[in-house]
Amino acid sequence: MKKKYAMAYIVDRCVDCKACMVACKAEWEVPEDKFRTHIDTGVSPDYTDTMRMHFLPHQCNHCDDAPCVTVCPTKASYKREDGIVSVNQKICVGCKYCIVSCPYDARFFNHELGVAEKCTFCLPRIAEGLAPACVTTCPGNVRVFGDINDPNSEISALLRDAATNHYKVWKLRQDLGTRPNIYYIQK
Amino acid sequence: MIKNRISRRRFLQGTLATGAAAASLSSISLIAGEVSQPAPTGVTYAQNWCEMCFWKCGLTAKVVDGKVHKLEGQKDCPSNRGKLCAKGNAGIAQLYDPDRLQKPLIRTGERGSGQFKEVSWDEAIKYVAEKCNGLKEKYGSGTFSLFAHGSGEHAFVDLLHIMGSPNICIPSYSQCTGSRDIGWALTYGKPVGGKEPVDSENAKCIMLLGRNIAEALHMGELIDFINGCANGAYVIYVDPRYNKTAAKANKYMMIKPGTDTALVLAMINYIIVKEIYNKEFVEKYTYGLEELSAHVRRYTTKWASEVTEIPEKDIIEAAVKLCEAAPNCYIHPGRRLTRYGSDTQFVRAIAILNALMGNWETPGGIFKPVPLKFDTPHMVHDLEKVDAERADGAGTEFPIASVDLGLANKMMQAIAEQKHPLKGMFVYGCNPFHNQGSTDVVAKAIEASEFIVTCEIYMTDTAWYSDVILPESTYLERYDPIISTARKSGYIQFREPAVKPLHDTLGAWEIAARLSKAMGYQNHFMDVREYNTELLESLGLSEKVMQKHGSLVGAEGDPFPLASGIEPEFHTPSGKIELFSNMLNDLGYDPLPSYQAPPMPKADEFRLLFGRVSFHTHARTQNNEWLLALHHSEVELWINSGRAKALGIKNGDKVCVTKGNKKSNPCIAKVVDHIHRDAVFLPHGFGSVSKGLTRISGVGARDSDFTSDETDPISGGAGFHNGFVRIVKA
Repeated sequence: MKKKYAMAYIVDRCVDCKACMVACKAEWEVPEDKFRTHIDTGVSPDYTDTMRMHFLPHQCNHCDDAPCVTVCPTKASYKREDGIVSVNQKICVGCKYCIVSCPYDARFFNHELGVAEKCTFCLPRIAEGLAPACVTTCPGNVRVFGDINDPNSEISALLRDAATNHYKVWKLRQDLGTRPNIYYIQK
Repeated sequence: MIKNRISRRRFLQGTLATGAAAASLSSISLIAGEVSQPAPTGVTYAQNWCEMCFWKCGLTAKVVDGKVHKLEGQKDCPSNRGKLCAKGNAGIAQLYDPDRLQKPLIRTGERGSGQFKEVSWDEAIKYVAEKCNGLKEKYGSGTFSLFAHGSGEHAFVDLLHIMGSPNICIPSYSQCTGSRDIGWALTYGKPVGGKEPVDSENAKCIMLLGRNIAEALHMGELIDFINGCANGAYVIYVDPRYNKTAAKANKYMMIKPGTDTALVLAMINYIIVKEIYNKEFVEKYTYGLEELSAHVRRYTTKWASEVTEIPEKDIIEAAVKLCEAAPNCYIHPGRRLTRYGSDTQFVRAIAILNALMGNWETPGGIFKPVPLKFDTPHMVHDLEKVDAERADGAGTEFPIASVDLGLANKMMQAIAEQKHPLKGMFVYGCNPFHNQGSTDVVAKAIEASEFIVTCEIYMTDTAWYSDVILPESTYLERYDPIISTARKSGYIQFREPAVKPLHDTLGAWEIAARLSKAMGYQNHFMDVREYNTELLESLGLSEKVMQKHGSLVGAEGDPFPLASGIEPEFHTPSGKIELFSNMLNDLGYDPLPSYQAPPMPKADEFRLLFGRVSFHTHARTQNNEWLLALHHSEVELWINSGRAKALGIKNGDKVCVTKGNKKSNPCIAKVVDHIHRDAVFLPHGFGSVSKGLTRISGVGARDSDFTSDETDPISGGAGFHNGFVRIVKA
């Protein structure tokens, strides 16, 4: 069966340390103050005894029906067979449609190269048998990456475990029909 | 000589460090769509331990075409289990930072003018040697002081001994963990140690009093804590500020700043009165329950609730939760316990509360670090340690303060006051303008010093005021003597350069050796590699093995001997855990901890609290381009929303901290409900005056301009949090 790469975040384990952001920056020499992944913080509006603070990592969702791919006039943005949404920088003309169209705000413009840029699930690392840089470095083991078509992969096992134990599992903005491939799990 | 050989079998069991596997480089060019990079002509890997903070995470540097491309945690290093934090990952940005010190410098203008001339190493070494020999002749060998912190600190410590001065300070004692280690040692007979032995992974209940594990970010401690939370530990977090550690807690208690001891004493009282402590353990292993019981009787939960502003039911619930989980629980001993000048007694209270749980050397409680013991060679031959009276009062005015680590706070005061002719100051890897409680005292000490030498990688505020600056190679450019670390196993760690020094820099040991020789001393300094080879041979290992593994576990033992039925030993006067401290009693201190209310801010003032954010260490990493990008170079000042409203301050406004005639650079107001009204909070280490830190010079507030400089009467440690400030719009 074809590979289909996906990632899950076990959000309870995130402490917003931002190691993922910097590891990614190092791996990809991401320019200036840009990052390919981020962590948002959600805080209860008022301080009470039951106040909670939550951390939500996010990045490119490698959507099955990706708006960035649909709008790209040169087909620089494309969906690979293994599920990764990629940008062929050689034919990207820097029109920024993809940046505007992404509902997850996952892309940015690389001014040095004049092209749109985003997460690649660390393809070269995967090819070397390594996990993506953000996964490897994460102190909380928040991020689980792998092939969801392989029942023996760590991510498949995690998603089965989540279903069995009725953990809360969700994806971002499924209402838009983008069919994203980042799973959020709260135990 | 060899106490503990690592067997060949043992190290063969070790797996390859993360990056050491041969990479399939061709794969990179196969990826469609990525920018085509010039084909790597060579990929090499080098082993190291991270120096972005002091936890010493094992890492492997991947070097592509002679440039460090990526740092990866060593999978088998027990310090970090393959992980690196944001700071660790940003070590590359430090290595290639154009702001680094690149050549030895000698001051040419006024101190603080930033006027230096670049000189050769020979010239710099000769200049320092001549100046120091002159000072020694004029004032005696005790005229030299040293403030040193980091992997190269021992080089300068040994140099000071050679020069004949006892005035050696490792600021991590007085400015960070001294009160904690003394308070703990008085109770249990040994200090906590630098790698806090709390067993979060197996804990059923964890109580943290301002120990912000998520943001202090010591990797091993954080990993254990996250796993502990995931394993179902009930976490109680006490802090005037709801932070990222609070986010992981089951129960957060906002405490009035300065009143933690009241909370702990009331919990002790409640637990004794209700007889819910671990009776078997307390009867068998502790000393002084009766005295303690009588002493704490006055500290009721009702009283503590009024003092701490925590609801009484929450205090009781915390006590009960701990006792229900006992012995598989702990109350964190703390890390930087330099708050109110009464910190040793605060730690005593924490140590006592732990003792009531009976969690010693028990899963989920306090574990026993497993050391890897072996004889190390001496980097410096024929070194006689100086044993003269110190100028800071360690060992005399403060009889149980560490004479090996010294009192950086009192030493700086002694230099400023010049009761002793302290004229020559050495600074290695630390930054007194930021780590001392009073920048006025530092400025005075600098004025009183005739000669100041700083060994650094950056133009820190202290370097900016120095006479000579000796640029050090970063950890990615140098060898260092192998280190040994004890957590639940004992292991050694190896450092080798990933790249040759980018600039005209040297490692600390070579600098010290050259200085010693130029000053005319005969002591032989070993070459670092020679030292490592000798050490490794004694363990049956070689440099080649370390280049492969980076770190290697050599001792595995039982971190929970008491739970396994092995009787513990407590090196206290009574041989037991001292609830009542005989040593404090004999020395005329209070043998039992009492609550002393700290000074409180006036109605229009705030207590200044400061600490770490997840992505900076001390005052060392603030100029790092990648780390600055994480917060867009903004320095946030946390302020309570009610207080801010009264001052007309809105979230995002530019505000300044003021105290007397001092006013900080602007910070960005972070207006939140979840910080106590009495306090404002600043991330530590900003507001540098040095123009050599081009990205952060003048950015944000320098907290040390506004902190207090108290002295704990027992440990001699500093107390920073009695600094009271006003906040004004910029």
